[in-house]
Amino acid sequence: MNNQPKLECNGLTVKDLVTTGIFSAIFFIFTMFGGVFFAVNPVLTFYMPMGSALLCGPIYLLLVAKVHKRWSITILGVIMGIVWFVTGMHWAFSLGYIGMGIIADMTAGLGHYKCKKLNMLSYMLISLGGIFTYLIFFIDPQGWAGAMLKNGTEQSYIDAMHTASPSWLPVVMIVGTLFVAAFSAWVGGNMLRKQFEKAGITV
Amino acid sequence: MMGQNQILPLWLDPRTKILLLLLCVLSAMAAPSLQYEFLLVAGIGILGILCGKWRYALKGMVFYAMVYLFTVWAMNSMTGTLRNMFVAFLGLFHKVFPCGMLSGIVISTTKVSEFLSAMNHIHAPKKLIIPLAVMLRYIPTIGEDWRYIKDAMRMRDVSPSFKGFITNPGITIDCVYVPLMMAASKAADELSVAAVTRGIENPNPRTCLIQIRLGAGDAFTTLCFAVFFLAGMYLKEVG
Repeated sequence: MNNQPKLECNGLTVKDLVTTGIFSAIFFIFTMFGGVFFAVNPVLTFYMPMGSALLCGPIYLLLVAKVHKRWSITILGVIMGIVWFVTGMHWAFSLGYIGMGIIADMTAGLGHYKCKKLNMLSYMLISLGGIFTYLIFFIDPQGWAGAMLKNGTEQSYIDAMHTASPSWLPVVMIVGTLFVAAFSAWVGGNMLRKQFEKAGITV
Repeated sequence: MMGQNQILPLWLDPRTKILLLLLCVLSAMAAPSLQYEFLLVAGIGILGILCGKWRYALKGMVFYAMVYLFTVWAMNSMTGTLRNMFVAFLGLFHKVFPCGMLSGIVISTTKVSEFLSAMNHIHAPKKLIIPLAVMLRYIPTIGEDWRYIKDAMRMRDVSPSFKGFITNPGITIDCVYVPLMMAASKAADELSVAAVTRGIENPNPRTCLIQIRLGAGDAFTTLCFAVFFLAGMYLKEVG
């Protein structure tokens, strides 16, 4: 598509923008689909970032392979941030996606969006976008339920919350999410090689 | 489609809708009590009815009322670990539900051309707006694709269910992802050609058949939500 005029100076054509939009839609649906079973279950709600990370690897890698230009991953992160904010998720969730989108973009950019290992790493980083809400929950569990309990802080609730969410849980969350994301990216990489490169989709 | 605008009692500018969403998110965040959130959902429901989405709005309100009653019951009669689990979960739910309901109304009542035109008015960067508009337009298509994929999977004797996924993960993953992503990249090519043909790259200011302007309805709705938000802040300070 070299004959397309560029929209603005830094190289993203309309085709790239449309591709980013479409893959953002799929990314969003799969994140939601993977996360929803965890989010509605009070016991498993902390493991939701892992569920979300499990499904999106192939989509993310195909997006990178199709566009492979700077800013497209950032746009993905920003769109995720906006959409999650508008659906009323915690603000840390949105900021997490925007911030991690920029970092992931820079990581993949180091290998010029062609290096498979760096692309994988950047997917692992963007998957971490979902965990910031929970980190804030760990820092300030009283503020979380403030609207639920009148005048928030019942001592029994605080005590029980500390026993229910031990201090190792955030570590498990981060490491687990990274691990699940790596697995998803590995599956995605194989799928890309097996199905899409032969079909000439990832030019 | 054009005639529909005249029958509806309320037509809002997309810019107003975005402002309302922001106010709604802030209100839900600042909510001092459960009653306040209930009023917020009721207000959103009324807005939905005025915008012509009365079935959606009624469903949402009834559902929320049920969860509300459950929450009151759970807070009063449960004890121990079970109660704490529900506190964390319902806390999330009560924050998310009003905003999710409002964004459902907003997305279903805004046409893509209106959205693009309004965003052009406030000089939002095109690089962000085009992917966003494409995304909103593409989400229903994924649902449609998914139904076709399910039919195709049944034809090949691959069960499109959780059980099928457990017994035969490799082929199920291939059967879901490959067609979906192929369709997506084909659609990306076609949509971008269509968008270029319709002059999305035109550097001149965009024009739209539907006139985008702020009216009395916009001002009134915004005022209602703003007053509601300030009342929430005030109640929080006092309480």
